[in-house]
Order: sequence, then structure tokens, then C-alpha cells
Amino acid sequence: MIDKTLNWVDDRLGIAKGGRTFLDKIFPDHWSFMLGEIALYSFVILLGTGVFLTLYYVPSGHEIVYHGSYVPLRGQRVSEAYASTVGLSFDVRTGLLMRQAHHWAADIFLGAIAVHMARVFFTGAFRKPREFNWIVGTLMLILGIVNGFLGYSLPDDLVSGTGIRIAFSIIESIPIVGSYLGFFLFGGNYPGSGIIIPRFYVIHVLIVPAIIVGLLAAHLGLLVKQKHTQFPGKGKTEHNVVGSPMFPTFIAKTTGFLFMASAVTFGLGGFAQINPIWQFGQYEPYQISYAVQPDWYMGWLDGALRIMPSWEWVGWGHTIPLEVFLPAVIFPGLVFNILIVWPFIESVWTKDTRYHNLLDRPRDRPKRTAAGAAMLTLLFAVFFASSTDVMANFFQLPLIDVLWFFRFFVPLAPIVAYYITFKICHEMLAAEGIGKRKRALVVSRSVEGEYSTVESEVRPGDGHEELEAIPVPTFIDTTDPELATSAGVRRVIR
Amino acid sequence: MQRTLRNSVTARLAAPAALVGAVALFGLVVFSSGQARADTAPTTTAPVTVSTLPGAQPGTVQETPTAISAVPSPTAAAAYNSPSNRSGIIYTDLPASFIAPGQALFAANCSSCHGALATGSDVNGKAIAPNLQGLGAGTVDFWVSTGRMPLTDTSAQAIRKTPRFNRIQTLEIAAYVQSLTPGQGTKVPLVKTAGADLEAGNTLFTLNCAACHTISGAGDALMEGAYAPSLHLATPTQVVEAIRSGPGNMPRFGAGNITDTEARDITAYVTGVLQHPNDAGGAGLGGIGPVGEGFVGLLIGVGVLMLVCFWIGDRA
Amino acid sequence: MSDNNPRLEGPLPAATLDDPHLQPATKNPERMEAMAAAAIVVGMLGFVAFIWAYWVDANTQWQAATLAVGMLGLGAGTIAWGKYLMPQGPFVEERHDFHSSDTERESFNAAITGRGGLEVKRRGLLLGLFAVGGGIMTLAFLIPGVRSLGPKPTKSEDTHGSTDSSLFTTNWKKGAKLVTVGGREVKVDDLEVGGVLTVFPQGHEGSSPDQVILIRLAQLGPDDPPYPIAPPGKTEYGVQGYVAYSKLCTHLGCPVGLYQERTQQLVCPCHQSIFDVNSGAIPQFGPAPRPLPMLPITVDATGQMRANGNFDQAVGPGFWERP
Repeated sequence: MIDKTLNWVDDRLGIAKGGRTFLDKIFPDHWSFMLGEIALYSFVILLGTGVFLTLYYVPSGHEIVYHGSYVPLRGQRVSEAYASTVGLSFDVRTGLLMRQAHHWAADIFLGAIAVHMARVFFTGAFRKPREFNWIVGTLMLILGIVNGFLGYSLPDDLVSGTGIRIAFSIIESIPIVGSYLGFFLFGGNYPGSGIIIPRFYVIHVLIVPAIIVGLLAAHLGLLVKQKHTQFPGKGKTEHNVVGSPMFPTFIAKTTGFLFMASAVTFGLGGFAQINPIWQFGQYEPYQISYAVQPDWYMGWLDGALRIMPSWEWVGWGHTIPLEVFLPAVIFPGLVFNILIVWPFIESVWTKDTRYHNLLDRPRDRPKRTAAGAAMLTLLFAVFFASSTDVMANFFQLPLIDVLWFFRFFVPLAPIVAYYITFKICHEMLAAEGIGKRKRALVVSRSVEGEYSTVESEVRPGDGHEELEAIPVPTFIDTTDPELATSAGVRRVIR
Repeated sequence: MQRTLRNSVTARLAAPAALVGAVALFGLVVFSSGQARADTAPTTTAPVTVSTLPGAQPGTVQETPTAISAVPSPTAAAAYNSPSNRSGIIYTDLPASFIAPGQALFAANCSSCHGALATGSDVNGKAIAPNLQGLGAGTVDFWVSTGRMPLTDTSAQAIRKTPRFNRIQTLEIAAYVQSLTPGQGTKVPLVKTAGADLEAGNTLFTLNCAACHTISGAGDALMEGAYAPSLHLATPTQVVEAIRSGPGNMPRFGAGNITDTEARDITAYVTGVLQHPNDAGGAGLGGIGPVGEGFVGLLIGVGVLMLVCFWIGDRA
Repeated sequence: MSDNNPRLEGPLPAATLDDPHLQPATKNPERMEAMAAAAIVVGMLGFVAFIWAYWVDANTQWQAATLAVGMLGLGAGTIAWGKYLMPQGPFVEERHDFHSSDTERESFNAAITGRGGLEVKRRGLLLGLFAVGGGIMTLAFLIPGVRSLGPKPTKSEDTHGSTDSSLFTTNWKKGAKLVTVGGREVKVDDLEVGGVLTVFPQGHEGSSPDQVILIRLAQLGPDDPPYPIAPPGKTEYGVQGYVAYSKLCTHLGCPVGLYQERTQQLVCPCHQSIFDVNSGAIPQFGPAPRPLPMLPITVDATGQMRANGNFDQAVGPGFWERP
């Protein structure tokens, strides 16, 4: 029956050959290869919950009187966007769960991208031939941050409105074109002509997600075409992939993982309150709350803005607000551009143009690892600088001292991190056997009663193998050209 | 063989361990503090409550005329309960009988810094503490009833702590300081939050208070070692006293700026909604917004899922 | 090649259940199957409970708990199935270089450079015209596509709304009444010393660029000498102990709503720029580059507070055209 159906489809689409290759695709078993899946499944959850939210959210800045079930707002003049968001939280069953799960999924999505990206970076998985996929991934990170900010802004609440105000001023700070860009995007000077919510909405639910879906397809397509990298180890070479097949083993694991990701997201969505906009109230441009921070993935930009000295350039009848332009436009621009061109920088620097399918251990490349550690330290430092007021309040320190601390900490910490990481990598490389499992000591007693201690034999699985792996014997002689192109899964003899 | 053995150990341990871990982390979230904690227990009688059941059932302001447990005089009580009390706030004169015991309490507990006549100067006329004359009974009541006075550490901003005096003693001290400059300064308010307009209180709070105390009332650090305190333990009387007297770095809001009705609405919003926030969405995570949320999202969200990866995948 | 690794001809053999290489990873498959089944059953119960929670309109926590248990059970069961009960291998897949053979490359390149280059040489004019035409088409789409998005920032406004001067100027003018956001007219007795109030020009309540923070620094009458503001020339901007500053931070335009009364500083809650109210709101710390512009104010005969003119500069954050 199933055979018959498959044949019927194959007659029309010819799926058998490619389909078999696809089902036989091998996924490495190492746990760190699943980090990207956290991001993938968070994105799936974002799409699902997001569609739910669009059914109730009204993207309009039009003012109405709130009549919902949250009492302290009743009778207040609020925008339709705000009223409908409060409404879908309180007056739509499961609405609050969906809204919070959507927000948590966004936080997890970008966090997972960061972790996944760190894995790819520190193991050198971005090297030839995977530069395209690294760039595609970086673009998705940027778009994810942009869309996170836009989505955060849609409820039109006090905290997010402050964020939009700051975004407008940042656009305004760009020399020559800044004020025009801001006016065109917002339909006039801030807060615009009430057009910004519908515009953000279209970008948030249509334009950016469509681009992300396209990039995601490219990301996964490249992954299938170029096949996975793998850590060096027994039987793993530059010319094979060792692991579990797509069907059925990997499919089962990854489907289960989708459910696990959903469980965590929806669990947080009901037990950890996120962005309680009914407590914040409608945004008005003359109102503000203290302790306003953007979501965590924007925090590093906010931190950079906070610690920047007040350098404004004025001359020839023009103004360049460097205190905004440098930290909020140039700084992220540099970070993303360095990320995008890093594979090429490294390739030129190391004069390495070979294919790389086996991964590095981070310690094997002290300079790259140290550079990555320095970049992460820099981003973490400015990230923490965005919560100076919360820290000052928590540790009961004077706020200005905390700010001054970060003004020094942010530029110095990456240098220290680079040096320390570089040293650690070097030490680990120098010390023989670090990271290997210790061999058991066998104590034996001779017939005379004398004790002696001998190290046991090396057993399979003891420690890391050398970088050059031993080829795995397979059932099929892959030198046979016809069989080599059939790309079947070969069973391994151990 | 090696592999089978390892897998069976994993099989026995990993699944339950991951389940237990996930449940434990959720428990952590559920039982973590729903709102920012201030540094002591409530000082006076029960504040106004608004029902804040999950699911945002309509809240009601209950009538609890308990702003001051010792109603100073029958006339004040009558004025408080009279229907003509539209604004909900009666500024009361404390009975003259409070002055003498207040003077004794002041001499024993306050005069070492503020001086016997509350001028804030020592015997040589050198100012060593704020001059309390002319500030009025309401100002004194605020500082003493919140436990900020008497001070233990003169170098830092006074913080809320368990008050040293009971309600009557506090009012006696206030009456004594008021008696030095009759008619001046802020009087002790009797606040009736029943019938307050929560929506107006919400708007006014956002416009006038949130810039320092934060929109959730959690408070935050100001410049130069000063702090906008958390409002989660303030009583209605204290809220009105603070609005009218502007303690510390807080601006003063007179009746020309915030009317009595508006002050009452703000008070009802602070003691009714902010102190009992509607956390329908789960644990409030400290009410400090995306900082707390970011930590939870990264540590629990991404963290737990990385543990799941660790379970699913191989570790070597 | 050992004996049990014969070279096979033809397609791959079908997997059989007794194949030693396709056995599950766990030693005790029966028990693991039972555990996975139990997890999936727990998950099913969770989903059923979620439907119940929806039906009875249980709160968000019940919805989340039931849904999470459902997902958790189903997920854990499926993962256990995949990890312990399915063929573990490890399997190996060969990898081949991506690049094409040299011949293929040459023919591909030749198609582009040869066939294409021929056409470029032969019809250079057409190609040039096509490029220019395409460029003009792009412009033709871009100009309305971008220009319609919003007005142009200019110093003076035209009448049909295609320009907007609010970056450079505000609605304050001489004689404009100071009112609160609710429209209440502000009188000279309204604020006590240490009081603050957000005010707007009458008729423009709630407008972002027009917001002004009014502070009373001293209890002065009409005949007292004016409250001194440190930079010379600004003292007369205040009246009877009042000063008025633009509430838009010169850093990023957040409302500078945090007034520290005792230290007489305005603080921006967004990025903690500090402005000294006594000296014309000169920034003392933080990223704000310029003082908050000061609004000249006065009091008329009825005690009504009025503006005594507009700001002498553009309010809010910096931008390229700002003089």
C-alpha cells in the first residue's frame, strides 16, 4: 500500500533517488550540533504563536477608550494596538499564554542563535566551503534582532514606546540622510502621524519573517548539500560524516526536541511573566518610567549608548551627534561586518584555502579562540552596562561609579580576555594528554606477595584521537564509481 | 560493548535527571518572588486591596478607613466619614494632648541631632541636622512611621525599616514638632481610598511618579548614592505625606499641582494596584522588566534546552 | 577487507530486523519501550488536561502546565525512542568535493564570457541603453516609493503637508498659555518650591516636541529680583522663581522626567544624563551633549503663566541639519 503510494508519487515527481539520499543523510551525534535546532524550533513556535496573535491584534494607533476587563485602565484613552494587546491577554482564552510564549520564544531564539554561532565560530565550522552559510546565519541573527525589536514595539506600551523614541533618534543621528530616513520611516517627526504601528506591523509579520524563512531554507539547504562538519575522532575523516541517519533515528530525536522546546517555551509562557504591558500603560511621548531596558538582545546597544561620553561634533552649520552615531550605528555595524567577513579574514591571515570538514578544538587555534573570547567579552560588558541603574540599586552603589566602572571595563576587559584565553589555549596545547581520559592503574599482586602497579591498556574511547582519523571500513567499497554515487548509508563494522 | 554499557547508564539516569531538572527549574520560577521585596514588613494597618486574581477579574476598592488608627478627634472622624469628603483626604490637626508626651519622646530620641526645638542646630547654633520647624506634622509622621527616622547611619540615605515607635507615639512626636510652628507645613492626612478613580491614578502615577519610582513602583538608583525607594510597603497616609512634603530628593507636589482628589487617586493606585500587581502571566520576576526576563530566558530557556541537547546527543 | 565485509554488487541490501548492526542502543529494549510509552501516555494526559483547562477557562498557569506536560511527555518519549530503540550505527556517509570537473568549469565559464561577451561586443549600444533604462526605472519606482512615505524635514512648513518643521521649531510662541496635559491652565501659585510640572502650549497638549518641564526653584514674588541662572543672559528666561526647560533629552529625546529635588538635577531615565537646573540645565554627566533648551516664561496680570517666546534653538537630540 505504502509502496504503491510512493511509486505513484515517484511516477510524477521522481522523488525516489533524491529522497533516498535525503533519508540517508547522516547527522553527527555530538550534542553541540543540536544548538541550532533550538533556534530553528523557537522560530517554528514564533510562527505558530505569531499567527495566533495576528488574529486578535489590531495594528492601529487610532485612539479609543478602553473597556476591557483590566480595571485600572477602564475609561483610559489608549491606542487600538494597546487595547487589543491587553484584550488578547485578558479577554481571549489562552491569549496571554500565546503572547508570553511568543515573547519567550523570541528571547530563546536569539539566545540559541548566539550559542549556536559561538559553537560554529570556536570550532572553525565556518571555514571553506561553509562561508556562505556563516553569512546566511549572521544575516538571520541581524534580522532576528530587528524583528524582535519591532515586535516588542507593537503593543504601544510605555516601555516599548520609549524604545521607538530612541530608535528614531538613532536614525536621526546618521549624518546627511538621518533626518530624512527618520521622517520617511515614521511619516514625519517623532511620534509620527500614527502610521508607525501599522508600518512596524507589516515589517514584523510579513517582510522580515518572509526573508528569514528564505534564509532559513538556504541555511538548511546548504547544510544538506555541503553536509555536516564533525569533530575528529575514531573513523571520522575529512571525507565522510559519521552519525545517525536522517530516517528514522534523527527524525525521532529532532521531533522530540521540537516538543521539548515547546514545553520549555510554553512552560515559561505561563509561569514567568514577560512584558506585562497592562502594568506599563499606554505610551505617551511625555511619559517615562525609570529602569527601562530593551530586551536582552538589544541590551548591548543600550549599554554602549549609556557609557559613551558626550562627544557631539558641530561645525559648518551641521551637527553630527557622535555620542549616538558611534555607539548605536558604527559599533553594531562594525560588529556585524566583522562577523560577516571573519571567514575571509581568517583564510587570508592563515593562508588556508583547503576544504575543512573536521572541526578544530578551540585550543588548537589559540588566536581565533582568543579573538572570539574577546568579542564575547566586549558584547557581554556592554550588555551589562545597559543595566547600570538596576545594578546600582541591587548592590547599593552610586550610579555614577557604576557608569565610570563600565567606561573602563568595556574597553579593557576584551584585551584581558584575549590574553588570558590565548595563554590558556597555549598551556593546554603544551601539556601532553590534557583532556584525555586517565588510564586506569592496575594493581596486581604476585605470587610472592609483591604489589606492582601498571597502567592499563589504552581502550577505545579513551580520550581524543589525533586530528588525522582512521577511515571506517564499510560494507561497500566506495571506490566503485557507480556505488559511490548511490550515496547510501553504509553500515560500520566496529 | 563499551557503547552499550554507557548508553544503558545514560538511559537509566539521563531521562529522569532531565525531567527532575526541568521540574526543579520551573519550581524555581514559580516560587521566585513575584514582586520586589522592600526591606521590612508593613508598618501600619492593612492597605486598600484590589482583587488581582489571575485572569484579571475586575478589581474593587474596599473601604478600609485605616490610614490612622487613632482617629484624632470626633470632628475629624465625622469629616472623614461625611459624604462631603469628596476628595477622600482630610488634613487633620492632632489633639493638643499629644504634644506633651511627644515632647518627651522627641527629647529622648530625636533631639540629639535635631536639637530640643527641632531647629537642627547644636547649642552653638551650628547646623548638624535638618531644621524640622515649619515642616509640619505630616512630614514628621512620614519619616518616623516609615522607620527612616531615627537614623542609624547618617552617611547614607535613610532607608525604610521597622519603625521604632507605634502609631500613637509617632503622632505624638509629630504633634510636638507641629506645635513649634502652628499652622505651617504638611498636616497628617486621613486618606479614604474608597471611590477612588484607579484609571486617573494610573495616568497620574505614570506622568508624575514613574520617572523615578519606575512604572512597577519597584524603585531604582538615582545619582550620587540616592535611591528612589520601592513603594510596595507604603501606606495610603505615607503616600499622601510624601506627595505633599517631598521627602529627600523627591519633588514637592502642592495642591495647585496635584489636587487632593488626584493625590487620593494616585494613592489608591499605589496601594491597590502596584502593591498587588496583577501578575496573571506568572512570576513577576522582580518587576524590573527585560533585565530579569533576559536572565530567565537565557539561563532557564536556553539553558534547559541545552541540557536536553546534552541528553539527546553524544558527549564525546 | 575482512571476510564479513564482502564487496556488494547492486543496490544496498534491505535492512532486516535481526541485522546485528541495526540493533537498538539500549541493553534492555523492553523496559525502555515501556518507559517511552509511559512518557507518551503522560503527554497524552497533559494534552487532555489542556483541553479541560481551556474548557473550564482555567488560568494561564494551568494552561501552561498542562500544555508543557503534554509537550514534555511526548517529546521525552519520542527522544527516548530515537535515542535508545532505533539503530544507532554509527553510520558513515561519504563526502565528495563540491567543485565541478575542470572541463565542466571551462564550458560554464566559456558560456558566460564567450557567448555573452560576443553579444556585448556586438550590441554594446543596446546593453548600455538597457542599463540606463533599468536605472531610470529604479529611480521611477524609488522616488514615489520613498518620497510618499513622509514629509521632508525643513525649517519652514508649506501648506500642503509635504514638509515638516517640527525638528527645528516648536509650537511655543510669545503669549502662549502654559497648560497641563489635561488642559488645565497653570497659575503662578500652583507650584510650591521644589515642585515640578509637565506643561504644553495651549492647544498642543501632549505634543512630543512641545513638552516642557516647569520647575519652581524659589518662592519669589513679582517684585523680587529674578532667580539667578548661571550662564549670563538666561536669568530673565525664568519668572518668580520658576524655570522651564524642554523635556526632550538632548541625547535621544526621552522625556527628562526625573527631578532630584535636593540636588536640583534633572536626570534622563533612559541613559542617566544629568542636567543642572540651576545653571541652565548644563549636562554634568552622561552622554547628553547639550543643555536642555530653556523656555522664556512670564506671568500675566491674572497670574496665568505664559511663554515669553519660543526656544532659541532646536529641541531634542542632534541631527545633521541642526545648526
